[in-house]
Amino acid sequence: MSDALLEVDALEAGYSEVQVLWGLSLKARRGKLTAIVGANGAGKTTTLRAIAGTITPWRGRVVFGEQDVTRLPTHQKAARGMALVPEGRQLFSAMTVAENLELGAFSPRSSHSYAARLEAVFSLFPRLAERRTQRAGTLSGGEQQMVAIARGLMSDPDILIIDELSLGLAPVVVYQLLITLKRLKDEGLTILLVEQNVHLALALCDYAYVIAEGKIFTEGEPARLAAMPEIRRAYLGL
Amino acid sequence: MLGIIASLIDGVLVGLVYGLAAMGLTLIWGVMDVINLTHGTMIVGGMFALYLLATALGMPPYLTLPPVLIGGFVVGVALYWVAVHRMIGRPPLMSLLSTFAVNLMLIGIGTGLWGTALFNVSVSLPGLSIGRYTFPGAHILAAALAALIAGLLYLFLHKTRLGKALRAVANNREAAELVGIPTTKLLAIAVGCGVALAGVSGMLIGTLFPFTVLSGDGYQLKSFVVTVLGGFGNPVGALMGGVALGLLEGAVTPFVPVSWTLVIEFALFVLVLIAFPNGIFARRGAL
Repeated sequence: MSDALLEVDALEAGYSEVQVLWGLSLKARRGKLTAIVGANGAGKTTTLRAIAGTITPWRGRVVFGEQDVTRLPTHQKAARGMALVPEGRQLFSAMTVAENLELGAFSPRSSHSYAARLEAVFSLFPRLAERRTQRAGTLSGGEQQMVAIARGLMSDPDILIIDELSLGLAPVVVYQLLITLKRLKDEGLTILLVEQNVHLALALCDYAYVIAEGKIFTEGEPARLAAMPEIRRAYLGL
Repeated sequence: MLGIIASLIDGVLVGLVYGLAAMGLTLIWGVMDVINLTHGTMIVGGMFALYLLATALGMPPYLTLPPVLIGGFVVGVALYWVAVHRMIGRPPLMSLLSTFAVNLMLIGIGTGLWGTALFNVSVSLPGLSIGRYTFPGAHILAAALAALIAGLLYLFLHKTRLGKALRAVANNREAAELVGIPTTKLLAIAVGCGVALAGVSGMLIGTLFPFTVLSGDGYQLKSFVVTVLGGFGNPVGALMGGVALGLLEGAVTPFVPVSWTLVIEFALFVLVLIAFPNGIFARRGAL
């Protein structure tokens, strides 16, 4: 068994005529929290979309659990244990919180011990238990992000991929969500996190990639990256 | 006065069947933003299936409902793959044209086989008499079946795994794909359900009124009116829209010549569109 649960190799992707990713490679190691940081438009979201298959990679490979899943349709990747919490949450806004969570467990792999997982998710996010009959679109931004993460967890994923965790959320909410992610990681979940807030990402992750212009600019342990002068200047504002 | 009330009640009965017909149209629109222009012809397909099964094979008319339902679903899935699948995500005009083309072909085949002769399936059921007025048994049974099927559709959409997945696809297709729902398959199922509803409503209408191969246009237009009254993409609203249309027909028929009912219906259609551009019971995103 390889150390990396998810491996992206020389990925190229884009939208119609515009190439965004130019041969990007990264790994998400088992049981670790890997962060992807970078400026707006660097290609972070595109990377995740190409991994999940909501856009088709032009070239390169996505290997998940030792298998090449580059060309697999998104729903089959979900069925193999890849859960993406997309940018902007993308909830089923007209449906209730409970229905959103139920749909999170749609694929056959997650049909076992549904009740227990729902219990676990509610203990992770007690707010959602209170709001289970409310329509997801009527929740606050933080609560919606909780639903999005909870929906991802309901599939019993091997890897949880989160795009822009902190987008549009109050700092105190982001802090709570990060604590939750840490807890999930300590329970053995592999997490790949895209985050614009470099401070936050480096404080939390085990390993980080810095993306610039569709390529890996640099990578390493968070402490090493935080000490690099160009990172401090460009991303940490120091 | 009693005559008007009787006319209104009969309007509601027929309106429930119109509502069922419109549900098929609005379900497809709600899930994938495609207007199925074969809808009227699929209704006629239900009528002819009733005619063939009941007259040629001697089946009791109401027992043709299950085969029409299943056959409609199969035809709908085929329609999805032939005319809709490659139009998903393209401008709405594309699917409008492709379903229009299929519609022309189906009408051509129909007129080739049966011409434009009037067909009739006689159903003899005892009516319900209240005072001087008798409500035809066929109207009562058709309305009851329409309401029952509409209720079952509601339960399907809100209580079953597959139904919830359909609503999820309608609400946010990309998110549905991300949670592992095979969305393409679900779109095909949605068209299957929409055409099955059209077929069953056609079968029920066939027990009420005579029909020809070309009857579809009128029912397609009625379905549009009902859809606008009931809210685009809202199947339950469609049933209410059908009742509203039936009430309107019931209210005007005692007073004006039959040919005027269509004029009044479409005048109302335009007025509602001006006042409520999303329909009166607008959908909120997930059927």
